[in-house]
Amino acid sequence: MRYRVGVDVGGTFTDFLLMDAGGRTAVHKELSSPADPSEAVLRGLTELARGEASNLEAFLARVSIIVHGTTVTTNAVLTGKTARTGLLTTRGFRDALQMRRGIREEMYDNRYHPPEPIVPRWLRLPVTERVAADGALVTPLDAAGVERAAQRFLGEDIEAVAVCFLHAHANAKNERAAARIVRRLMPHAYLSVSSEVIPQVRYYERTSTTVLNAAVGPILARYLGNLTAKLAAARYRGALLIMQSNGGVAVPAAVSRLAATTLLSGPAAAPAAGLACMTLYHDKSFVTMDMGGTSFDTALVRDGEPAVSASASVNRYALALPSMEINTIGAGGGSIAWIDQGGLLRMGPASAGADPGPACYARGGIEPTCTDANLVLGYLSTEYFAGGRIRLDTGAAQRAITGRIAKPLGLSLEQAAHGMVQVINVNMAAAIREISVQKGYDPREFPLVCAGGAGPLHAAGIAAELGIARIVVPRDSSIFCAAGMLRTDLRHDYVRSCAQTLGGSAAGSGRVRRLVREMLAEARRALAGEGIPRARQRMRFQLDLRYTGQYHEVTVDVSAQSLAAVNWKAVRERFHAQHDRLYGYALRAEGTAVELLNARLSASGVTHKPALPREPRRGRGCARALKGKRPAYLSERKDYREIPVFDGDRLGHGNRLQGPAIIESANTSILVPVSWRAEYDVLGNCVLSAPAVRKRRSA
Amino acid sequence: MKRKIDPIEVAVLQRRLKSITGEMGLTLLRTTRSPILNEARDFVTGLYDARGRMLEQTEYIPVLAFALQPACENVIRFFGDDIHPGDVILHNDVFSGGNQNNDVAVFKPIFDGKTLVAWAACKGHQADIGGAVQGGYNPEAREVWQEALRIPAVKVYERGRLRRDVWNLIFANIRLGIVEEDIKAQIGGATVGERGFQALLKRFGRRRLDQLLDALFDSTERRVRHEIAAIPDGIYRGESHAFYDGVTDGTKMKINLAVTVKGEAITFDFSGSAPQTAGFVNAPYSATASALLLTFLMLIDPDIPHNAGILRPIRIVNPEGSFLNARFPAATTFGNSITGPTSDAIFRAFAEALPRMVTAGWNRFLGFAVSGNDPRHRRPYVDILFLSLKGGSGGTWSADGYDHIGLINCAGGILAQDYEMFEIHDPHFLLKHEYLQDSAGAGRWRGGVGVETEFEIRGENVTGVAFGDGVEEEARAFGLFGGKPGSRNEIRLDYPDGTARFAKTKEIVRGIPRGTRFSQTAGGGGGYGDPFERPPGEVLADVKNELVSVAAARKDYGVWIDPQSFALDAGKTAALRGAKT
Repeated sequence: MRYRVGVDVGGTFTDFLLMDAGGRTAVHKELSSPADPSEAVLRGLTELARGEASNLEAFLARVSIIVHGTTVTTNAVLTGKTARTGLLTTRGFRDALQMRRGIREEMYDNRYHPPEPIVPRWLRLPVTERVAADGALVTPLDAAGVERAAQRFLGEDIEAVAVCFLHAHANAKNERAAARIVRRLMPHAYLSVSSEVIPQVRYYERTSTTVLNAAVGPILARYLGNLTAKLAAARYRGALLIMQSNGGVAVPAAVSRLAATTLLSGPAAAPAAGLACMTLYHDKSFVTMDMGGTSFDTALVRDGEPAVSASASVNRYALALPSMEINTIGAGGGSIAWIDQGGLLRMGPASAGADPGPACYARGGIEPTCTDANLVLGYLSTEYFAGGRIRLDTGAAQRAITGRIAKPLGLSLEQAAHGMVQVINVNMAAAIREISVQKGYDPREFPLVCAGGAGPLHAAGIAAELGIARIVVPRDSSIFCAAGMLRTDLRHDYVRSCAQTLGGSAAGSGRVRRLVREMLAEARRALAGEGIPRARQRMRFQLDLRYTGQYHEVTVDVSAQSLAAVNWKAVRERFHAQHDRLYGYALRAEGTAVELLNARLSASGVTHKPALPREPRRGRGCARALKGKRPAYLSERKDYREIPVFDGDRLGHGNRLQGPAIIESANTSILVPVSWRAEYDVLGNCVLSAPAVRKRRSA
Repeated sequence: MKRKIDPIEVAVLQRRLKSITGEMGLTLLRTTRSPILNEARDFVTGLYDARGRMLEQTEYIPVLAFALQPACENVIRFFGDDIHPGDVILHNDVFSGGNQNNDVAVFKPIFDGKTLVAWAACKGHQADIGGAVQGGYNPEAREVWQEALRIPAVKVYERGRLRRDVWNLIFANIRLGIVEEDIKAQIGGATVGERGFQALLKRFGRRRLDQLLDALFDSTERRVRHEIAAIPDGIYRGESHAFYDGVTDGTKMKINLAVTVKGEAITFDFSGSAPQTAGFVNAPYSATASALLLTFLMLIDPDIPHNAGILRPIRIVNPEGSFLNARFPAATTFGNSITGPTSDAIFRAFAEALPRMVTAGWNRFLGFAVSGNDPRHRRPYVDILFLSLKGGSGGTWSADGYDHIGLINCAGGILAQDYEMFEIHDPHFLLKHEYLQDSAGAGRWRGGVGVETEFEIRGENVTGVAFGDGVEEEARAFGLFGGKPGSRNEIRLDYPDGTARFAKTKEIVRGIPRGTRFSQTAGGGGGYGDPFERPPGEVLADVKNELVSVAAARKDYGVWIDPQSFALDAGKTAALRGAKT
């Protein structure tokens, strides 16, 4: 028997999904250990072993793959706790990072702040050197200047150094020379060099990406070092794969070199998980939401394709690496309630996290959180949170909410708690609106695939806010991303700038072929190193093309054949067609020259994905799963009522029940509001439907 | 029977309209050739109803907030029932609703069957528009024909067929080939808008769509009226000046503004402002209206949608013949650039009524449009050098000004060129582009920081056209409630022969030789509130980052910082600050 394990480290919980060769799954949740997240990983693996009646070593001997997602890098940037980073720039240009080209995203809001620079100005050190736009070396590197800068960094306890010089995409000589000096003088520093991270033209984007990479590099390296050492100590010999922002996975050595590829990886497996649980339905378009302890992630999948964009941003800094389009806000069970200057109740983005956690964890937390509100409102059980492993203290939750929110606002305890839930629901609905309504899609046309430990309590409230009438809560919703990770492929993205007129000269075409061959060799090496044979390697080539004189490019898929044969005619034709579809016109007839800016390669290694097991059908009746009744606050009645509580682990295919009700499982609770209905499908998904839909369907 | 209006449906429609105009804008960003369009984003996209009322628009820079509707209304008046599916109409004329000669609009009518239901439109600042000077900024112009080719409403496509004769007539009078390509890109953008609107028609049906749009206008109007009602009734006066008319040294043009707030209505009256000038420092009506609207939008809830409903409670009195509404055939290309002085007057007027919403003065920009030949490709080039003209904005209550944001006309919507793309496109070799120390006006909330730029010009036959303001001491970004003004603008040319000169604010500098070093400082914004009340820790951070000098920290902020150790001396600081009161 061989196991595969998905491990998803979140801000509050670390989630585990175990899958055996037959598709049978087991789920586990462990409180995260923010100081060293690998501790929780090992604790959780030990628990999984116990569940399989084994010890850790014997269990790990039977595990072939661990797929691991981590938000250590993301959290570091969002909380400003990145590595102490220094930046070397070309003299005269040390502010490009902070300037962000002078954009203010909100043009009419004069109080809109720029984000804090990841490297403050006094740690951005200029050195004398210069390369021209065509790659010509104008001023050789001032080696002594680099040495002085490195000494200064040493004096400031700098852990990571980013090097980004002008036009290093065209000639990396000075950058490499500077990197060698830094490496010699600062052997322990994490080094991030722009021509290695992203050899692509555009100084601000390259600087920002290189700096982000540096700022999280030591954090990821430290973490993965800890983790692999602990796994090695437990004699693990299987593969370890790390989730990346592009929706694929890679080995630890690869992501350590390019730590920034993990920056948006936390939620990147959600679309894959969503697609798996929606296989039953005709809707290949849906919205996923995942509400954990700290953050809320949402993505739109259309026609079975999650959206991937060539560049993204983290905390409003450019990240020029391919990433899943996922909207993340600070909203989760740990979100802290507070009152703003205008006397309005606010929720988050600050979170109590795992430590000290919500007040009701009774671990020293005194701030009122979303989880405290859910407990006070009767949606959570004091006895059965996290499968009964955390006993919740209602008194502590009441004290926190009363003292910090209810009293200052002159509200009753339950009014305050209910207000907290409403405010956080509106925040989460707005985040979904951004990826649907604001892109021109009506969320009412999409089902909501709801995940995360805290998600199913809020899903109906969010859906009501948006007019969404159907919610699918997957069986393993609390470990949604961990489940998605077992269904992702290995993936590496490569890019090379090669500015030229497409087909303008034989030398130019030769250069493209050479750079493409170089990327291909690199990709094949990487995948082979990850144990992927040629037969399971998929190469997707793309060229960034534009008409001569345009400033922006269209990324066009091109076949390996047309690249090898330098069939630019076919490539041009694809570009014309795509340009017309996107922008309403093409310049085919005019014979306008087409320019090439970058060549890209996305290399995948296809992994085996077991089929999901199907459940046998039971009757509709849920009586045997009824655990009892308890008072819960119903917003429709503005008061508490006794409502039935069901054991979710005893409900399955065919079971149907009517709200108001609470369905409790080991790791999640579903709130079924008044007049909503819950029904279990063959995959064990719990499908919630609003009253209006049923009426429409039966009519 | 009138169906009940579903507010969610209205909200979804509004967001969809927004996303259509956003997609049109994306088309322009991605496909145009001129950096003024795709890097500086000097364009607007919009959808208008059959009567020309704004349904939704996305202005990438705020000064275009009111740039399309008057022109659209003019097109409809002119063509009457001679509008057909497949028509494409161009327009730029400032005396029939245009806002600036260089801003050429493309209008595409949208039909439901045979009925005209809406318009898709894009307007962008063209790299050239004919006239006496390449690029269109001609400080020597005394009438419109010396500035530009006038394009009143003209069909370039009729029922889907290109009118080659008309097309050729227009582009035979414009210097740069890229303008022709950029107009094609704008037609592409309008087509994207048309497709999007057709999808809405299919989804809602025409009647339902009309009802929802009415509901949308009404809701927007209600929100604006609500905002106006919150301002205490009264008459508020604000005054400011524009400097140098480009003809006579030392000239000063006054803007005289009286704002009357009465209940839910507001009137902006510019009567008594300076008469129109002999040169090009004049605004067409639409340009002044845009300047006013963009400043007003900064004083109200930023979430209010941009449609015709926003205009209903606003009345503008701007008598013809002043430099804010010049008479035919005045030269007016400088008109958009009077936005700075206009918004200064508006902020000053509201300082009393809305002290927490207004900002101190923004840096008045000074631009330098260069054109010449690029010896690398043996082709002409033109650039407005957006990277060097972006100064700081004014501080406001509870927030410092924004660094390197640029002119208020654009409010951070305009991007500085990326250095590498700048050097690939222009024959210029950059030497420096960094924040400028001590440029920000001191204040409890300081102004935004300005920048300094240096590069070597490696083009041939280069001409520079300076246009802007902010060089005189008096023209610095003003401080508010005790805050200090920001620093001045300046452009300096160091010629290869060792001589040097400064550019005036409105001037054509001809024959700039290859090898000339161009240096510019764009000043900081004005400070808000007493700088002695700024927390010393914030001053220290600025000193450590070399944004404020040790000397300025002492003099302007009363904060004593040791120049070697960067240690804050609390005792000396208290003494300095105590001495003032």
